[in-house]
Amino acid sequence: MSGAKSMAHAAGPVSRDPLEPALMIEGNQTDATLNDSLFDYIWKLPSDGWKKLFGLALAGFGLLIIGITVTLYKGIGAWGNNIPVGWAFDIINFVWWIGIGHAGTLISAILLLFQQKWRTSINRFAEAMTLFAVMCALLFPLIHTGRPWFAAYWLMPYPSVQGIWPQFKSPLVWDVFAVSTYFTISLLFWFLGLVPDLASLRDSSKSKTAQFVYGMFALGWRGSGRHWAEYKWAYLLLAGLSTPLVLSVHTIVSFDFAVSVLPGWHTTIFPPYFVAGAVFSGFAMVVTWMIPAREALGLKHVLTMKHLENMCKVMLATGLMVTYGYIMEHFIAWYSGNDYEFSIFFRTRQRGPYAPIYWLMIFCNCVTPNIFWFKKARSNLAIIWIASILVNVGMWCERFIIIVTSLHRDFLPSKWEMYYPTWVDWTIFAGTVGMFSTLFLLFLKFVPAVAATEVKELRHEMEHDAHEHQAGAAVAGGSH
Amino acid sequence: MSHGSGFVPRRFVLGQFATADSLLDGTTKMREKGHRQIDTHTPYPIHGLEKALGLGRPKIPFIVLMGALTGACLAYAMMYYMNVVDFPINIANRPIHSPILNIPITFELTVLMGGTSAFFGVLALSGFPQPYHPLFEADSFRRASIDGFFCSVEVPEGQEVAAVLEDMRAVGSTEAQIVEESER
Repeated sequence: MSGAKSMAHAAGPVSRDPLEPALMIEGNQTDATLNDSLFDYIWKLPSDGWKKLFGLALAGFGLLIIGITVTLYKGIGAWGNNIPVGWAFDIINFVWWIGIGHAGTLISAILLLFQQKWRTSINRFAEAMTLFAVMCALLFPLIHTGRPWFAAYWLMPYPSVQGIWPQFKSPLVWDVFAVSTYFTISLLFWFLGLVPDLASLRDSSKSKTAQFVYGMFALGWRGSGRHWAEYKWAYLLLAGLSTPLVLSVHTIVSFDFAVSVLPGWHTTIFPPYFVAGAVFSGFAMVVTWMIPAREALGLKHVLTMKHLENMCKVMLATGLMVTYGYIMEHFIAWYSGNDYEFSIFFRTRQRGPYAPIYWLMIFCNCVTPNIFWFKKARSNLAIIWIASILVNVGMWCERFIIIVTSLHRDFLPSKWEMYYPTWVDWTIFAGTVGMFSTLFLLFLKFVPAVAATEVKELRHEMEHDAHEHQAGAAVAGGSH
Repeated sequence: MSHGSGFVPRRFVLGQFATADSLLDGTTKMREKGHRQIDTHTPYPIHGLEKALGLGRPKIPFIVLMGALTGACLAYAMMYYMNVVDFPINIANRPIHSPILNIPITFELTVLMGGTSAFFGVLALSGFPQPYHPLFEADSFRRASIDGFFCSVEVPEGQEVAAVLEDMRAVGSTEAQIVEESER
């Protein structure tokens, strides 16, 4: 807020609308100062904090290798999965990770189409998170086949010696197409946005090696007006294509459940409720990483409190949507008069053996975000950070509840069985967190975490608007 | 300049402008003076550049449309061939060909092909990857991706460079220079 005030003073006695929100870029910036401050940390040696975190993340990555090795050596029997709980940690983690990825696409594509300018400095960050989260997610369906080297053979429609094709009426096959498309498009969108920034890095680098490496990735970008003309359209169209794509991905993920007949899964509310949950958890993950990163990388002038506040508001909104989803599920279970539905929602989940996880989910997802009704909470970093972690925990619990409770007690009590994860399950889960962190820390060190080109463009536009505003005010003042 | 290898360097006149507005103005004037191979180099897209450069409609939207339609047709044809023609499987007597159930994959491949054609379309139209360009010979050109606004004119073989340089100075550039491709 103080930055906003100082900028207003610097710009002269322009009467600002009191309802006008705080600025998205703090201080008096030019293209050159933005360029320097946004890339500053890339040219510096990694800080001690970064090294420590990276060591920790690498250790986590090691866990993943151990977990996967044991799984491949022993087979899926190393996991706690059983019949009836055939889907457990692998699918919980798959859905959790893919949901986390959704915030990136939402921020980069949907907010671009809605011309929400505050997205500019957080989109790169969130898109990178999408990529890494989707990588973690993709790992689970691959290794849960037990023989991942056969996965292409089972999943992809290519002419194999068996002469059999995938069954395209199955949501599981839709999932393969949805998730792989999502990964590809997210990668292209992210890289296309990155090209001008890589060119800036190439041109502001001081060493030959950096110039060469960034130069190669920049593809020879020279800011040509002819290139920009096509580039802008390509970027916009990619955003336009990503928007329905992101909605379709989690919709299709939810079809994996909703198309079955299992009580607790067989509901039409699943697609919108999964998408809302995905955005909810994704924003929480962005916030969890952004709070320490803006501090460590010296990016507070472009990742301002306004950004955090807006993200809190999105978390509040999506959290309420998720809560509505829970209420609706329970209502329909009661209203339908279906005994099995009623039993799963009102007995098994609330009072069954996994009830503590259910109530933790309710607390984290339905109670926690409500703190963001208060401006005080939305501007307190510690509260935002803790709440964002709770939301991540809550969303993981949600997937656990949906998958495990529905499976472990379905129609016939003689089929009922408890599910307990083994150490291998936990190791792989912790390992993907390690892999995500490793990739993310590498990204934070070597790639501009803030889309410098877009921030400069935003600054240019804001300056332009301010001039017009000033000119307009002068004209209005003259006519009085 | 004669080179033994028969190499004829490409020559450019590069002008730097103080602001985005003066660049737009200068570019328009250069075009009006009859120069054809004009380009601008800016750290971010500037509103009005297409007009100043006299560019026509962008080609990307059509490329993306074609890519998307190809994806849709390919997906549907693939599913129809595999599940209806080549290896129909009767599951509980449900229809072998069910258009509704083909929607998700048709949609996904539409997006996939549309998106990849947007990306590779830009690369192809811009001639990327192209790590070397004669303009990179100019030291000040580094600022084109940082905070500088440039206009470049390629001078065709046989035409006098000095006149173009004079024009570039006249249209309001703060600094104008001749840039020549170096032989590698």
